[in-house]
Amino acid sequence: MANVSLRNIDKSFGETKAVRNVTFEVAKGEFLVLLGPTGAGKTTTLRLVAGLEKPDAGSVLIDGADVTSAAPASRDVAFVFQQYSLYPHLSVYDNLAFPLRSPARRMPEDEIRSRIEAVAGMLRIGGKLQNRSTKLSGGEMQRVAIGRALVRRPAIYLMDEPLSSLDAKLRADLRLELKRIQRDLGATILYVTHDQIEAMTMADRIGILSEGRLVQVGSPREIYADPDNVYVAARLGQPSINVLPLGALPVRSAPRTAYSVGVRTEHLDISRDGGPGANARLDWVEHLGDQNHLHIRLGDHRLTILAQPGTDLSAGEALRIEAANPLFFDEDGRRIR
Amino acid sequence: MGKVSAKPVLFANSIPAQAPMDPEMTNSSASEAVAIGAAKRTPEVIARRVRGLSDRAIAWLFIAPTIVLLLAINVFPLIWTVYLSFTNYKANRAARGVEWVGLDNYRRVLTDSDIWHNMLVTGHFLLWTMTFQVLIGFGLAWLINKNFKGHGVWTTVILLPMMLSPAVVGNFWTFLYQPQIGLFNYIVGFFTGVDPSSFEMIGSVNLAPWAIVIVDTWMWTPYVMLICLAGLRSIPDYIYEAAEVDGAGPLRTFWSITLPMVLPFLMLAVLFRAIENFKMFDLVVELTSGGPGSVTELASINLKREAFEKWRTGLSSAFAIILFVTVFGAANIYVKALNRVKQR
Ligand SMILES: Nc1ncnc2c1ncn2[C@@H]1O[C@H](COP(=O)(O)OP(=O)(O)OP(=O)(O)O)[C@@H](O)[C@H]1O
Ligand SMILES: [Mg+2]
Repeated sequence: MANVSLRNIDKSFGETKAVRNVTFEVAKGEFLVLLGPTGAGKTTTLRLVAGLEKPDAGSVLIDGADVTSAAPASRDVAFVFQQYSLYPHLSVYDNLAFPLRSPARRMPEDEIRSRIEAVAGMLRIGGKLQNRSTKLSGGEMQRVAIGRALVRRPAIYLMDEPLSSLDAKLRADLRLELKRIQRDLGATILYVTHDQIEAMTMADRIGILSEGRLVQVGSPREIYADPDNVYVAARLGQPSINVLPLGALPVRSAPRTAYSVGVRTEHLDISRDGGPGANARLDWVEHLGDQNHLHIRLGDHRLTILAQPGTDLSAGEALRIEAANPLFFDEDGRRIR
Repeated sequence: MGKVSAKPVLFANSIPAQAPMDPEMTNSSASEAVAIGAAKRTPEVIARRVRGLSDRAIAWLFIAPTIVLLLAINVFPLIWTVYLSFTNYKANRAARGVEWVGLDNYRRVLTDSDIWHNMLVTGHFLLWTMTFQVLIGFGLAWLINKNFKGHGVWTTVILLPMMLSPAVVGNFWTFLYQPQIGLFNYIVGFFTGVDPSSFEMIGSVNLAPWAIVIVDTWMWTPYVMLICLAGLRSIPDYIYEAAEVDGAGPLRTFWSITLPMVLPFLMLAVLFRAIENFKMFDLVVELTSGGPGSVTELASINLKREAFEKWRTGLSSAFAIILFVTVFGAANIYVKALNRVKQR
């Protein structure tokens, strides 16, 4: 395992600036998650680390050594591709064995077998080892792709949305499993996802990408509770943060330059109020099974928040809402602390 | 046939394709209008005959000529050949009485040392044309797949020989093989230092078998290349990227990714080419006519001689059937192997 750092990386495809001046470091044994909407440059960032793309500017360092122009094979990275990339003419077993059979490695066949069996058992594809890799479901292919990385002990694991096509239960299981493996091995992982739950639960740190720029890097707690701007604030939290113009909501004390306020459930004091103090009305209660969302109308604005446990509010009721310690943003969306 | 129908079934199938062109009308009324219009324009002579026929009957009407032709020029001759191979029939003396000779013709073909010699010549020709065409064809495809500058032009140039007629190719290679003025001999002489007029590709017993191999390879390597290129293009880039990240060098990538994934295509090309070359006739007749002696006399050339020069119709029928069964059997075994490669 190793630490990996990117310094001032730029990468364009023709007119598209896929990655702009990105600098960050994944420490040895760290699990760093890149979060961002589609097209933000997440895959491109991973490919730059793997050496599948050459940066236009900047450098990539693995364990302090500059590998910016080194070939992928010499970087000792494992990549779980977004589109699986299994070898279609090989069986699942041979797919998993492929990286281990490299002539430079000279690994004995029985060690290869025991490693594959361990990984296959963990990913629950033990029964599929003799299948052709094209005769698998999407979720099985994805697990083989993860397995092909896990059989190795590379400097860094690069994973591009590795759990995206699994069902919710398997995803939750593998999430825990991956996190456990990472702890046991002390593995360095750079992981890309859209899924904020994955990001929150697995990451040591989260990096938020937007249009090729790394907007903020920090622990999940920091990203959630202390975002640098509106964009970052909107990436985490379910339901997502409500951003209202200043004045739409009573706040106790606002900074002078504040332009908008962001409020999550925990920033609000809500009380039932049939009298003249009422400033909002409960439109409807959305039942999502394990949680309820309240949709509240506040003047011309709408808020969506999580229902307090045991709430007995019902649609149509008049409410009084007040913000306590909300997040303030200036005109450009920057956070005012 | 007396029944008069407003909607002749003959046009029932052509209507839906035209109907959507008029969005104003509903489908059924539009199709009716087209049908009625078409029925009105059908000449009375034809219309009277097809009225009242079912769709199926009309379908048969359309394919009947093709079936009759196929039966007449494919199926009947095949069966007739099988019959003739058991007789002593001679096509140039058809009036003579035809005798049933049983398996005699087959016995004679299989014990004839000349025919075994022809088979050896065919085998030599097949083996080496396939070897060269696979190696060179794959190599060229591999180079062109690298997308170097101007690869489009090169592809076109390389494909040219394949588009020529075998007779033309055979003919002009006899000039290229001329010891005194031939370009081939000159080039060989230029690179090896051998005197160009000291050897004859076509006239020499030792070189003639290679002369036909060279011309066939020149002509048909592009075909193998084209199919290999299709195979190479079918391998997505991300497979190569995965292999690269997995630490495979260029050599290992070639042996364990490129080659196995192109193999089904390559085998298909070999199948097509081998069947064609087993039947090879025109090119070699133009070049050497089987000579000198009979060193380039392929089975098909001897077959033609037996049938249409010596007029041993019965014997040559047996010969033809034996060749057919050989190709058919070999191709079947090969296709099984091909399927296994594809199943992997
Ligand atoms: N090979 C390429 N050629 C041209 N443009 C590219 C190429 N690869 C990526 N891009 C562009 O770069 C931008 C970033 O792409 P990237 O694949 O990194 O996005 P992503 O964050 O991984 O998105 P997703 O979540 O949808 O996978 C996109 O605008 C994309 O169109
Ligand atoms: Mg991506």
